[in-house]
Amino acid sequence: MSLIEVAGLTYTYADGTQALRGVDLEVGEGEFVAFIGQNGSGKTTLSKCLAGLLRPTAGRVVVDGVDTSGKGVTKELARRIGYVFQNPDHQLFNSRVADEIAYGPRNLGLPDEERERVVQEAAGVAGVRAELFDEHPFFLTKGLRQRVAIASTLAMRPKAIIVDEPTTGQDHRQSVEIMEFLVHLWRIEGHTIVIVTHEMPIVAAYAQRVVALCQGRILLDGPTREVFAQSDALRQTFVKPPQATRLAQAWRDLGVAPDVLSVEELHDSVAGVLASRVARAAAEAAASERSPEGHGMSRGTA
Amino acid sequence: MNAVEVRDLTWRYEHTTRPALEGVNLDIVEREFVLVVGPNEAGKTTLVAAIKGIIPHSMSGILKGEVRVFGERVEDMKAPPLARQIGMVFADPESQFTALTVEEEIVFGLENIGWPPAGIERQVRWAAEVTDVADLLDKPPYDISGGQKQRVAIASVIAMEPRILILDEPTSMIDPLGKDQVRDICAELKREREMTIIVVEHNIEAFAPLADKVVVVNDGHVERVGPPAELFAEIEYLAARDLAPPQVTTLFERLRRPGRYVGELPLTDEAGIAAGRRLLEAAR
Repeated sequence: MSLIEVAGLTYTYADGTQALRGVDLEVGEGEFVAFIGQNGSGKTTLSKCLAGLLRPTAGRVVVDGVDTSGKGVTKELARRIGYVFQNPDHQLFNSRVADEIAYGPRNLGLPDEERERVVQEAAGVAGVRAELFDEHPFFLTKGLRQRVAIASTLAMRPKAIIVDEPTTGQDHRQSVEIMEFLVHLWRIEGHTIVIVTHEMPIVAAYAQRVVALCQGRILLDGPTREVFAQSDALRQTFVKPPQATRLAQAWRDLGVAPDVLSVEELHDSVAGVLASRVARAAAEAAASERSPEGHGMSRGTA
Repeated sequence: MNAVEVRDLTWRYEHTTRPALEGVNLDIVEREFVLVVGPNEAGKTTLVAAIKGIIPHSMSGILKGEVRVFGERVEDMKAPPLARQIGMVFADPESQFTALTVEEEIVFGLENIGWPPAGIERQVRWAAEVTDVADLLDKPPYDISGGQKQRVAIASVIAMEPRILILDEPTSMIDPLGKDQVRDICAELKREREMTIIVVEHNIEAFAPLADKVVVVNDGHVERVGPPAELFAEIEYLAARDLAPPQVTTLFERLRRPGRYVGELPLTDEAGIAAGRRLLEAAR
C-alpha cells in the first residue's frame, strides 16, 4: 500500500484561483520525491494538501490510512506527515529552541519523560546541539533555524517529511549540507522525503523521482533521469534540466548519452565517445596495414 | 576611467570582533559588468554596501581605507549625489517599496533626487519598457508576483539612470522564469553600455556569460579578480570555496586537462554546444 494516496484532487482558493485541477498521485514509503514546476503550477498547494494544511475542494488525500478531510485528524496526521516551510520563521514561534522542538509532542500530551526523550532524539538527528536549547531561535543563523524547524517536525516522528524550497537563498555549501541531511533522514532514518524546489541541479543530484506540475495538473511523473530526458515536455513547465543534461541532449546525434544528470556523467560519456573513436581509428589503421589491399594508412610493410 | 576604486578598505561592524572586510583593493572600470561571488557571510554585501555608501553613512562601525566613486570619496559625499551616482537593488524587493502603485514607485526616486518634472514621464516609460512592467503601472506593487516585484524594484532604480547599478542577489528569492527575466534585463542594460553594473549572485551559470570581470570574495578578502573564462578554470580553488562554475565550463576544463580539448573555456550553452560538436565531429 502506498503511504500517500491522492485521487481526483482539486483545490480552489477563496479568491477563485484553481490551483489544482484533478491530481492523482501515489507516493510509496521510503521514496525521495521532488515536486517541480513554475510558480502557480500548484506544487506548493499540492504539498500543503498532502500535509493536511489545506483540505481538498474535491477528491481525496489519504496519508497512511488517514483521510485528511476527516474530522479531528490533525494529531493523527501530524504523526504521519510533517511540513517544513520555506521560511523557517513562518513556523518558529517559541522563545526557546527546546520549547520549539517540544511543542508538538506537548500537544500530543506525551508524558514529560517521554517528551524529553523525543526532543533529545529529534534535536540529535537534526544536528541541533543541546547548548542551543536555551537560545532564542530568532538569533540563530538561517541554516540552524531551518534545523530547529526540522527538529520540531521530527519530534512528531512522522513517516513522511515535506520540505518546501530547502535551499532557497543558501550558498552552495549550505545547500549541500541541508540536502545531505535530508538524504540522511531518508536513507538512515527511513523517512519518506518530498521536496518542493526550483533548483534543478539539486533535483538531479538527490531526487529519485520527479513530479512536474503545470497549471494544476501533473505533467510528468517518473524517475528523475527519465523526466529530465523529456526536454520538450519540460519546456511547458518553464523548467530547464541542469546544464549538463541540456548539453548531452544537444549532442545526442553524436553518440553522447542524452540522459546524464551531472557534469561527471556528461564528462564520462563525452570522453567515452572520443576514446572509442580513437580506438576505432587505431583498429581501422591496424586492419588496413595487415590486409594485402591495404592503402592509405599503410606504411608499405605488408 | 575607473568607476570605483577601493583602497585598503577594512570595515568592522560595531559590536563584532572580526572585520567583515579586511585590506580590500578593487578597481572597477566604467561600463564594466562585474560579477561578485563567494560563500554567504564572506563579505559580498558589505563590499557593495561600502561602494554604495551605506557604509559608513548608515552603519556603525570602524572604517579604514577608502572607496572612491568616479574619483570622489564616498565618505565625503552627501546622500543626493550618491543616489544619483549609484542605484542599488536588494534580494527582497519589498524592502524598498513605499508607494501605492507601480508607477508612483518608479516616480518616487526620480522626484526624490530632483529630476526635472518634464522629463519624469520619459524616464518612467523607458525604465518600464526595459524591465517589461509597462502593463503593471496601475497595480499596487505588493499585489504582483515575486518576479514582477523584482522587475519593478529594478525599474525604480534604473529610472534615475545611475552611473553605477548594484544588484545584491537579485534572483535569490524568485522563481526560474523570474530569474531568467532579471538576467535578460541585465543583458539588455549591458548592451546599452551606459551603466557600470555590479551583481552579487550565487547563480554563476546565469551571470558568468555577462561578466567582464568576476570578483571572488572570501572570508573578508577579495581573493581573485579576473575574466570569467580564466577564473572558472581554477576548479580546485573554487571547489575549496564551495563555488560551482557553470557545468559547461567544468566539463571543458576537465576535457582540456588531458588535452582532449584545446581552446578557451565556454561559459554558455551555445558556445559549449558548438565547441562540443566540433570536438565530437572531428573524432568521427
